Amino acid sequence: MRTLILDVVGILATAGSLFIVSSGLTLVFGAMRLINVAHGSFYMLGAFVMTTVAANSAGARFWVAVAAATVVVAVLSVVVEVSVMRRIYASDHLTHLLATFAVSLIVADLALRVWGSGGRSVREPSVATGAVSLGGATFPAYDLVLIAAAFAVGLGLWLLLTRTPFGWRIRAAVDDPELLSCTGTRLSLLRTGVFMLGAALAAFAGALVSPQVTVAPGMDTAIIVSAFIVAVIGGLGSIPGAALGALIIGVAETLGASYAPSWSSSFMYLAMIAVLVMLPSGLLGRAER
Amino acid sequence: MNQPVRTTLQKHSERLVPFVGRGPVDVHRRPRQVALRVGGVVALLVLLLVAGQVLDIARLLTLEEALALAAFAMASNLLIGYGGLVSFGQAAFFGIGSYTVALGWLHWQLSFWLALVIAPLIGGAVAGIIGLLALRSRRLYFALLTLAFSQLCYVLAQERYTFTQGANGVIGPMLPDSLIDPRHAYLFVLAVAAAAALVLWKITTSPFGLVLRATRENRERMQALGVNVFGHQLLAFVISGAFCSLAGVLFVVYSQSAYPELLDWTQSGYAVYMVVIGGMFTFLGPALGAGVYTFANQYLAQHTSDWQLILGLILLVIVLFRPDGLAGLLSPRPWRSAARRLQARFGQQEDSTTDTTDPDRTTGELP
Repeated sequence: MRTLILDVVGILATAGSLFIVSSGLTLVFGAMRLINVAHGSFYMLGAFVMTTVAANSAGARFWVAVAAATVVVAVLSVVVEVSVMRRIYASDHLTHLLATFAVSLIVADLALRVWGSGGRSVREPSVATGAVSLGGATFPAYDLVLIAAAFAVGLGLWLLLTRTPFGWRIRAAVDDPELLSCTGTRLSLLRTGVFMLGAALAAFAGALVSPQVTVAPGMDTAIIVSAFIVAVIGGLGSIPGAALGALIIGVAETLGASYAPSWSSSFMYLAMIAVLVMLPSGLLGRAER
Repeated sequence: MNQPVRTTLQKHSERLVPFVGRGPVDVHRRPRQVALRVGGVVALLVLLLVAGQVLDIARLLTLEEALALAAFAMASNLLIGYGGLVSFGQAAFFGIGSYTVALGWLHWQLSFWLALVIAPLIGGAVAGIIGLLALRSRRLYFALLTLAFSQLCYVLAQERYTFTQGANGVIGPMLPDSLIDPRHAYLFVLAVAAAAALVLWKITTSPFGLVLRATRENRERMQALGVNVFGHQLLAFVISGAFCSLAGVLFVVYSQSAYPELLDWTQSGYAVYMVVIGGMFTFLGPALGAGVYTFANQYLAQHTSDWQLILGLILLVIVLFRPDGLAGLLSPRPWRSAARRLQARFGQQEDSTTDTTDPDRTTGELP
C-alpha cells in the first residue's frame, strides 16, 4: 500500500509536468501542422525567468514569478511567430524542423548570455514545502502542486476548446483552415494566438518544475525529446492523447527508476518505438493528411 | 544484388529519365560539363593534399574533423537529399562507428584496421533493423522514429557503464602507430573520405540511385511502375548507415575517443544542418556544409562565445530564403534568374541565352 501510493504520486507528478509541456506542443501541431523544436526553448526560458523573478523567495512572490514567466515567454513567442513562423507555415515538415531548430539554437545562446552556464535553483513555495504523509507514505508536498496544475491545465484546455469561440476557431482551423478564413476569421491572428498559447504552456511547465530540478542550459534539448515522445505516443495533435502519453511515460519513468534504475531512460524510447511500430499515428492520433 | 534485379532496375531507370533530370545531378551531362566537373574534383583533391603538407597542426586537425564530418554529411544526404527521407537519427550510426573502434580496442584489443572493416558492417546491420521498423512510417513519423532509435542508442551508450564507460566515454591510445603522426592521420582520413565519396557518387548515379530519387519525387507513381519502394528505401537506409559508421571511424582518428554525445539527437541535427546549409540538391554540397560548419564552429568558438547564435542565424536565413543552400548560391542559376528578373523589369531582351525553360532548375521546394 505504501509503495503503491508512492508510485501513484510519483507517476502523476512526472506525468503532470510532462502533460503541460506536451499539450502545448500537440496543440500547436494540431492547429497548424507545425513541428516546433523551439518548444523546449520556451520551457527553458520559463524556468530561467522564474529563477530571476522568484529570487529564492518562498512567499507569494513564487506565484507572481510563475505568472511573470508565462507572460514574458508568451510575449517573446509572439515575436518569434511574427518574425519566423509566419513565413514557413506553408512549407513542409523539414523546413519546420530546421527553422525551429535554428530558433532553438539562437534562444539557447541568448539564454546562456543572460543567465550564464551555472545551475540555478528556486525554493518551493511555503504552502508546499516539506513532505506530506498519506497512508504511511511520505512524498514531497510539491508533487501535489504539479498534479493539481496538470488537472487545471487539462480542464482549462478542454473548456477553451469546447466552450469558447476562440477554441471553436482553433478546432475549425485543424479541419479546414481555408473555409475558416472564408467565414471571416483572421487566420494569421489565430495562429499567433495558438502559438502563443503553446509557448505559454511550455513556460508555465518550466516555471512549475523549477523547484524540483536544476535550471541550467541544456534543459531545452532534454525536454523537447521527452515532450515529443509523449505527444507522439498519444498521437500528435490530440490533447487527450498527450495526457495518455504523459501517463505512459510517467509509469515507465517512475517504475523504471524504482525497479530497474540503470535501464530507466531506455523505457521511454522503447515505449515510443513500440507504439509507433504498431500504431503509426500514435494512440489517439489521426493519420497525417 | 543478383543479375536479373539489376536489369529490371536498369529498365526502370530508362523509363525514369524524363523526370529524374530535376534531381541533384543530371543523368546525361555534356562532355564539357563532365570535364569541368572532373577537373574541379581533381583540383579540390590536390588542394587538400597540399593543405596536408603546408597547414599548421591546429588547422590540419580542424580540416581532418571537417573531412570526417563531410563523409557523415554526404552519407546522410543519400537519405535526406536523394531519398527524401529526413532521418533525425544518423548520429546513431556515426556513434556506432566510433564506438566499434573504441570498444573493440578497450575490450578485445581489436586492431584498428579490422575495426575499420567491421564498423560499416555493424552500422549497416543496425540500420537494417532500424530501417525495417522506421520505414513503415512516413515523413514526420519516420523522422521521429529514427530520433527515438538513436536516442535509445545514446541512452545505452551512457548507461551501460561497465561496457561503454558511460558519460566519460572511451579515451585511450586506440590508434595504430602509423596514424599517430597527424599528417599521416590526415592523409588517411582524406583517402578514406574521398573513396567513400566516390562510392557514394557511383551509388547515386547508378540505376538504384535514380530509382531512389524517383521515389522521392513521386512514390505512388514508382509503385505503379512496379518498383519495390520499401526495398529501395531500406537499402538506401542500410548504405547510409554503413557510410555514417565509416565516418564515425574517421572521427575517432581525429578525436581519439568515443563518447555518448556522438549519438545524441543534436549530433543528428548537425548532420541535417550541414546537409541543408551546404545544399541538399547537390552531391558535394553537404561536404561544403561540413567544411563551413566545422571551420565556423572552430573559429567562432575561439573568438566569440556566441557561435550557436551565429550558426542558428545562418540556418534560419538559409531555410527562409535559400532552401538550396550554399551550393545553390554558387551555381550560376540563381544569378541567371535574378538577371532575368531584372531584364523583365527593365524591358531589355538582349540576352537570349538565358532560357526560361531551364529543365533541371531546382526550385525552392524541398522533398
